[in-house]
Amino acid sequence: MTRSDKNTTDTELETLFAAARSAPPPVPDALMSQILADAQRMQPIQPATGGFVSWLRALGGGPGVGGLVFATCVGFWIGVAPPANLPDLAGQLLNLQSSTDIDDSDLTGFGWDIEEG
Amino acid sequence: MNMHAGNTEPDTEAELLARYAAGDPAAARLLAAQVTPRMFAHALRVLGDQAEAEDVTQDAMMRLWSIAPEWRTGEAKVSTWLYRVVANLCIDRLRKRGGVPLEDIAEPADPAPSAVQGMQQATRLDALQAALNSLPDRQRQAVVLRHIDGLGNPQIAEVLEIGVEAVESLTARGKRALKTALEGRKDALGFEDDTI
Repeated sequence: MTRSDKNTTDTELETLFAAARSAPPPVPDALMSQILADAQRMQPIQPATGGFVSWLRALGGGPGVGGLVFATCVGFWIGVAPPANLPDLAGQLLNLQSSTDIDDSDLTGFGWDIEEG
Repeated sequence: MNMHAGNTEPDTEAELLARYAAGDPAAARLLAAQVTPRMFAHALRVLGDQAEAEDVTQDAMMRLWSIAPEWRTGEAKVSTWLYRVVANLCIDRLRKRGGVPLEDIAEPADPAPSAVQGMQQATRLDALQAALNSLPDRQRQAVVLRHIDGLGNPQIAEVLEIGVEAVESLTARGKRALKTALEGRKDALGFEDDTI
């Protein structure tokens, strides 16, 4: 056998490359898990986890919703038991207060429309 | 378009990266599944060490997640950028090894014996890895990128940040050095059994 017979040819080298291409090393499960854990930890924006969370965020989060609840309760209480110096709006709405008569005789009296022409 | 079987369309990778930056939890899983095997395989072939290849791959992927919000689609391909990061991390590791004898570097584990068609293919993979380990760092990277990862010379030039002519020179010298390293092992590798 000559020396050239013992040397690797281009074709044989390509056979080795093809063997490497056809059998890529499998990625260890632990490595892939770690990569995905890194990705989750480093993700810049966390998506909303549900409709309620999105609704809460649109209202300004916890402080915003707290303010809304407080204002609603105060308004309801004022409506039910108004302070003494405020008009009784609930009574007016329920027609419990007598109406005030307005004297408009001057506006409808004879001669007013004549003077206006 | 690169015809390597494991490659994906660069635009798809950029789109997945943009979706990841926008908060899509599924995008990271899809993108990692597409690029991680290629980066890990490259690191393993260049470093010849399983644990170091895993470290480099994880480090490179962390850098990808980190840069995702600032990524500008169209300026670079995600896989090319990742190959460059992996290549630089590998060079750092190889330089830190310094005078560590090649024989002290652990051989990588044989990938899935059932998938490599028996002992002969495992022997060939081991012989190729041993020969790759004997090459100078840059020649090894260029040969792996060209002949195993299947990249074109212009893309390799981007990865290694050198000219295309320098890539051609590196791969040519690398192949010659591989042949020298494999000298005398022809019989053991069983080439006469092949029908090519």
